[in-house]
Amino acid sequence: MTMILQQLINGISIGAVYALIAVGYSLVYSVLNFSNFAHGEILMLGSYIGFFALTLLKVPFAVAIGMAVIGAGLLAILMEKIGYRALRVRHAPLLYFMISAMGLSIFLQNFTIVTIGPNFRTYPDVLPITPYALGALSIGRLDVMIFVITAISLALLTWLVYKTKLGSGIRAASYNMTVASLMGINPDLIVAIVFMLAGGTAGIGGVLFGMKYTVYPWMGTLTIKAFIAAVVGGLGSLPGAVLGAFVLGVTETFAAAFVSSEFRDLFSYTLMILIIILRPAGLLGTLTQEKA
Amino acid sequence: MFKKLVLSALVLMLVFGFTGCQQQAKEETIKIGFFGALSGDQAVWGQADRDGLILTVEQINAAGGILGKPVELVIYDDKGDQLEAVNVVKRLINEDKVSAIIGCNSSGRNIAVAPVAEEGKVPVISTFATNPRVTVPEEGKLMEYTFRVCFIDPYSGDVTARFAWDDLGAKKAAVLYEISSDYSVGVRDFFTQAWTDLGGEIVADEAFKTGDVDFRAQLTTIKDSNPDVIVMPFLYKEVALAAKQARELGITATMLGGDGWPSTALLEMAADAVEGSYFINHADVDAPNVQEWREQFKERFGSDIEINSLMSHDAMMMIKAAIENANSSEPQAIRDALHTLKGVEGFSGTINIDPETHNPMGKAAVIIEIKDGKFQFFKQFEPMQ
Repeated sequence: MTMILQQLINGISIGAVYALIAVGYSLVYSVLNFSNFAHGEILMLGSYIGFFALTLLKVPFAVAIGMAVIGAGLLAILMEKIGYRALRVRHAPLLYFMISAMGLSIFLQNFTIVTIGPNFRTYPDVLPITPYALGALSIGRLDVMIFVITAISLALLTWLVYKTKLGSGIRAASYNMTVASLMGINPDLIVAIVFMLAGGTAGIGGVLFGMKYTVYPWMGTLTIKAFIAAVVGGLGSLPGAVLGAFVLGVTETFAAAFVSSEFRDLFSYTLMILIIILRPAGLLGTLTQEKA
Repeated sequence: MFKKLVLSALVLMLVFGFTGCQQQAKEETIKIGFFGALSGDQAVWGQADRDGLILTVEQINAAGGILGKPVELVIYDDKGDQLEAVNVVKRLINEDKVSAIIGCNSSGRNIAVAPVAEEGKVPVISTFATNPRVTVPEEGKLMEYTFRVCFIDPYSGDVTARFAWDDLGAKKAAVLYEISSDYSVGVRDFFTQAWTDLGGEIVADEAFKTGDVDFRAQLTTIKDSNPDVIVMPFLYKEVALAAKQARELGITATMLGGDGWPSTALLEMAADAVEGSYFINHADVDAPNVQEWREQFKERFGSDIEINSLMSHDAMMMIKAAIENANSSEPQAIRDALHTLKGVEGFSGTINIDPETHNPMGKAAVIIEIKDGKFQFFKQFEPMQ
């Protein structure tokens, strides 16, 4: 029993990181109908911003997170302007966006390797390593913090998207960009804000991810799992992305623990494919023409 | 007009570039190729391999070269990738026409590269590929052109088992290994064999995949099995993450590792988590006979040596001896001389190549303890048979 609970805690804490990254994919998809495959690199750059803020500028942790959010958000806007805007204006096929995204992703990885270096960097200890003990269960302090920060960020994001005028604009644009622009919504502004929000969550994700698993130039490739979580949850749906992330985190952990660690990925991704086959729109998504 | 200018400038540069190359080739040099992971997660070792080699070659050249000819290095980055390694080795053989090749630090890449060396008939000396299949892919078959400086995984698995049994008094062992690495699976298999032969019990056997960063699911299972030691035969980055997560989960068992551990990066990344652990290694950077060279290395590169630097030094000394024995720098002559090479003094011991396996005979492992945040020599094991 302890074992099951401990594995559940492990799974939820992995899911929390996936969730923060998955909403970034979903946000961009909801408005632009394509998946920003360079999202992982924004996360990586956000992680470096947080790392250098803590080690070189020696700012308090909260300030470092703030800098990572703003820095990654601005980088995401810049990336949209360089990589996607021209395509968007010309109504280019979605495939072009994907290729541009992959190009950006490879460029940013290599750019980081050349400028910052290929080494792994370790975040300074913000929290002590000793976990909270609950009977025989142990819960890492960092995991608790990650869970809390993820919850707060997601709550803020949900409030912004569903309760504010800006959010109405974003949701209107996600239904139909052309009609929304006829109603007086500036599409460029909405797209910039969406990238800012997605980049900001990637910035937080990057800092948390870096604290847990170190910082390195190709850490962005791991976000592919968060992307899968977003698809399973239903691309374009924020609650779906979060649900998908926790489902994936817990499935992976349980597969490793109770099926076989050798067959973990085989088992958990077969399950994900099954979900997609049975519910093509994902767990909470609405069916659209193109998934990714 | 501007375009034309740029174009003609480019053409001129190309022409001069080529003539420059040809002039260089005219003076007689011995070309030695190097490939290794100069970027990526194994860059720490690839760069240590390369720097050790550069220093050794500079010292050989300063002392008059080999057979009176200076040595010229051709260095390529394989990015830690098997396909890339095959490509650069093909380039070293076909385009650069090197006499011999040194590299690399991984069994997977050396297994991929070995057939290329057979085809091109150029000898390759691996610094750190410990899987037996690198030189002997299957029983009775020998890779004629592949050699190595290091001892092999069966010995390392055996030493790990005997050390845990005799010195640590352990009875129950758990294994965490990287299923997509030839090296890791090899050590795990040989350890398991040796451990059960000694009468020990394997209480948990858990795998993960290259690129994973979270091992808590596996570690929770391991914790539940309550082992005395956890054997972790994989590379320092995963070791650092796994060790931290193990301590977070409250696991107190002694961790044992192999030659994937020694990197100052491990100490930076895992700090307290690996304190009190042990690992098996090929040589001791603190050994007295290494210190003079170590100082020269620090002066040349501004950083400390890793074990790899010693191994690439030893590989270069093997090539030097082979060229001198053969009195030729033809690839075939070097390979024939390496095949029966005896008595080369290196930092990792005296190197005698076994013609049956192309492995060095009689090399001894050392056990290093991580104590007070430092790698410290613990004991030396008897040589491999």
